[in-house]
Amino acid sequence: MSAAFKPYRRARDMGTPASESERIVTLTIDGEEVSVPEGTTVLRAAAEAGINIPKLCATDSQQPFGSCRLCLVEIEGAKGMPASCTTEVREGMHVQTQNKRLADVRRNVMELYISDHPLDCLTCPTNGDCELQDMAGAVGLREVRYGYEGANHFDAEKDTSNPYFTFDPTKCIVCSRCVRACDEVQGTFALTIDGRGFASKVAASQDQPFLDSECVSCGACVQACPTATLTENSLIEMGQPEHYVVTTCAYCGVGCSFRAEMKGSEVVKMIPNKDGHANHGHSCVKGRFAFGYATHKERITKPMIRETIHEPWREVSWEEAISFTAAKFKSIQEKYGKGAVGGITSSRCTNEETYLVQKLVRAAFGNNNVDTCARVCHSPTGYGLKATLGESAGTQAFDSVMKADVIMVIGANPPDAHPVFASQMKQRLREGAKLIVVDPRATDLVRSPHIEADYHLALKPGTNVAIINALAHVVLSEGLEDKEFIEQRCDTEAYQDWREFILDPKNAPEAVEAETGVPAENVRGAARLYASAPNGAIYYGLGVSEHAQGSTMVMGIANLAMATGNLGREGVGVNPLRGQNNVQGSCDMGSFPHELPGYRHVSDPAVRALFDQEWGVTVQPEPGFRIPNMFDAAVAGEFKGLYVQGEDVAQSDPDTHHVTAALSSLECMVVQDLFLNETAKFAHVFLPGSSFLEKNGTFTNAERRISPVRKVMEPLAGYEDWEVTQLLSNALGYPMSYSHPREIMDEIARLTPTFTGVSYEKLDKLGSIQWPCNDHAVEGTPTMHIDEFVRGKGLFRVTPYVPTDERTTPMYPLLLTTGRILSQYNVGAQTRRTANVSWHDEDVLEIHPHDAEQRGIQTGDWVGLKSRAGETVLRAVITERVMPGVVYTTFHHPESGANVVTTDNSDWATNCPEYKVTAVQAHKVTKLSEWQQNFETFTEEQLEFLRQARAGAEELG
Amino acid sequence: MDVRKLVRMANQIAANLDYGPNKEQVVYATADHLRRFWSPSMLQLIVEHYRSGDAELSDLASRAVARLAEEQQNVA
Ligand code: SF4
Ligand code: SF4
Ligand code: SF4
Ligand code: FES
Repeated sequence: MSAAFKPYRRARDMGTPASESERIVTLTIDGEEVSVPEGTTVLRAAAEAGINIPKLCATDSQQPFGSCRLCLVEIEGAKGMPASCTTEVREGMHVQTQNKRLADVRRNVMELYISDHPLDCLTCPTNGDCELQDMAGAVGLREVRYGYEGANHFDAEKDTSNPYFTFDPTKCIVCSRCVRACDEVQGTFALTIDGRGFASKVAASQDQPFLDSECVSCGACVQACPTATLTENSLIEMGQPEHYVVTTCAYCGVGCSFRAEMKGSEVVKMIPNKDGHANHGHSCVKGRFAFGYATHKERITKPMIRETIHEPWREVSWEEAISFTAAKFKSIQEKYGKGAVGGITSSRCTNEETYLVQKLVRAAFGNNNVDTCARVCHSPTGYGLKATLGESAGTQAFDSVMKADVIMVIGANPPDAHPVFASQMKQRLREGAKLIVVDPRATDLVRSPHIEADYHLALKPGTNVAIINALAHVVLSEGLEDKEFIEQRCDTEAYQDWREFILDPKNAPEAVEAETGVPAENVRGAARLYASAPNGAIYYGLGVSEHAQGSTMVMGIANLAMATGNLGREGVGVNPLRGQNNVQGSCDMGSFPHELPGYRHVSDPAVRALFDQEWGVTVQPEPGFRIPNMFDAAVAGEFKGLYVQGEDVAQSDPDTHHVTAALSSLECMVVQDLFLNETAKFAHVFLPGSSFLEKNGTFTNAERRISPVRKVMEPLAGYEDWEVTQLLSNALGYPMSYSHPREIMDEIARLTPTFTGVSYEKLDKLGSIQWPCNDHAVEGTPTMHIDEFVRGKGLFRVTPYVPTDERTTPMYPLLLTTGRILSQYNVGAQTRRTANVSWHDEDVLEIHPHDAEQRGIQTGDWVGLKSRAGETVLRAVITERVMPGVVYTTFHHPESGANVVTTDNSDWATNCPEYKVTAVQAHKVTKLSEWQQNFETFTEEQLEFLRQARAGAEELG
Repeated sequence: MDVRKLVRMANQIAANLDYGPNKEQVVYATADHLRRFWSPSMLQLIVEHYRSGDAELSDLASRAVARLAEEQQNVA
């Protein structure tokens, strides 16, 4: 058994949250002297001294509630028996936790609970792991005098509407831990205790089934429940786990740490790790519940090859698949030149895998044609932050938000796309931090329980830069800038240029009001609020980067933060919220065509020399192709071979017609993935990938936190992904001989100044590390740019507003913008193969009532959505979340074809596609679009080719 | 590769870098951007296109490409 495998034990519960105070208080508990921070409860102080006071309603993820009366203690000089969970420690206090009197009271309390609790422990799903059972044992309950004949709740109906957990009210002790979990931890406020006294019970929303309620299925209540009332269905089916392994969620850029709780090689539960530095024991529906895709029957576990995409697949051995690929790539390079092949890596891959793919391209292919899907999401972040602050990464740790006074969220929807961070942000907002939302849509954050944005700047899509310049204009023209910070920390000349530019009256909020659609006084109010906050923090997402001026906008954000002195300490900063789990990592690992690991340009001879020496090759000094360039070159017949690891460009990239034309013109496309995804339908070689449960490696989240991914089961297809890349490299004649990803990380550390201190040993010891981690910061760097910027002086960059070419016209009078929802992840290849489809089984088109009425469209109608790039058909949902003139959809399902409509417009600096703005027309239709009909036929044909491969293998086998 | 796309990209780069009275600076920055982010084959294509007397490149983009063309000549 690997050292990462730990025997299963419920994580220790300290009863109440830790106190942050630095003052230490000393008291005695059962004669034992104990020193704890001021503000600690007696219950927790005892737990820290190893004394377990019985408890039921208290748990360390929530504020104490004091309802069960089980945790009573006696305190010298105090009257009666106070509840230890609600009593704070005092200097010199003498506490007694056990004596006859206390034992009697506790036994009475338990007796009452148990008299209304079914006694089917032996067949109960949480048997052996139940706090109620534990407490009955702890207090020595031996008889129940009230009998079970009295009034009880034994007939209450189970609620099995949620696909992942069951609510069995017969077992409820009304401790309200679930209600508080939903309020305090998750921030959804979906649960209440309905009724009073004996009649009181837990209810979801208006006493609805969980699935129909406001519940977002985060599972916090299930985790908090001390009984079998709220229980994971997987636990009901499989029984208790026997060991666990700590690993990292493979979905979003929050990068939650989890305990994969296992039974043999099967996952029983994914439980968010309390010691997880990014999530502190919380998670969302995806990470906690949506792991079933890993063992889904559509997983492909045998390598397959074919000569053309119009013939059936053939299942072959790994050796044959690899040598077939190597031969094809070699002959393509001989015929069309070294630059005719390339590779695409994914933010869903580990750091080690991505590193290896770019090494394969640079060392074995001998060119720089490597790119990653970050191209289509956050490449402007890399460019913009490097240009201004000197490092292509967010500046803070997530926890920093707890010190922010004003939070500005631009083009991001954290409750849907970064749910666990959103919960933390909402905690801070409920504590009173102010909120500014800059977004064309009224996202959930604008108004949610106990939270209301102070300003919602509902700008027209495509006018970000005009808004950020207007905000800066208010700051400078009203003298709200932080002069001292600017003088000490920033480049003066650049500041003067920028200042002069921003103060131009054409950047005033009043001057841009018509363009942006945002009332000038709101812009002024928001700017004043942000600039005058002791700590102002900016969080942004793809609504910033996926524009023709994505890079400009990122620089504009950095400018605003510098001008107001909101950088270099906790509570402030510029924080890109990364979409997929390893966007940060895949960028760090040198998967851009112009940069080696650590964001160093390939034209730098000193950097190249380092790699030349380590790798024993000559790295090319000029940039290679970006993804869209690869497609353009493919259509032109100059690019013929592509290796795609873990990415689905045919679905996720814009202008589907162009992408599929490019893919169809390749002579050899290799797809390494879990499923026959949309891209694989155009492939000649399919190499089965391994899920995050089947491999070792690391992911780096949005706060630069490197966290370990650990193998909990053997790869279904026999190899971890990095091993497959290594096989291919060897077959191409460039030898690689790693025996474990730790060796790959050691190589990364040798070559990358921000990673020199990173190793698997240190990760095991610290749990996670935020880079830079080196001799200057041995344990990593939570907050960047503290005394000076990475580039030295902060560089203000002039950010002229250049309106996008993508404008509405009489033919295309609406603007389409795209986004994500909570239960689905990116192209949905994983989440569509889980019960998460219960919440989102198709992509729909949101349209404002006014636009809908003009077109005679009603909710549920089929609507044709047409742009200059193509046409698709979606079902309409009429809503005021979008403003008039704007329509919105998601792209989680391939058949909806959102990207058939998006165009090849892109960010000027990085070619990040302009997903957020497409001029379209919408009209009522009765049948699917031509593209969709062709898509159906093509998909059917490709699935038939797959069936034939399997049938062929069975015949032979 | 479709050179019209490259022209559009080059124009977009120049437009975004265009600020202030010093146009030489804008031309310099545009040329630098192309050099740092475009593959040699793309640069080659746009230079050839420029040499063939293109009219679609904006003034600033065209001056930037002219620089690249000059550099190529000096190397050759
Ligand atoms: S699953 Fe999450 S959102 Fe749903 S009721 Fe429980 S805590 Fe609330
Ligand atoms: S469902 Fe569980 S957590 Fe909620 S009140 Fe009942 S026993 Fe407590
Ligand atoms: S999807 Fe994101 S927020 Fe949800 S559990 Fe995974 S890392 Fe955490
Ligand atoms: S644990 Fe203290 S009152 Fe319930």
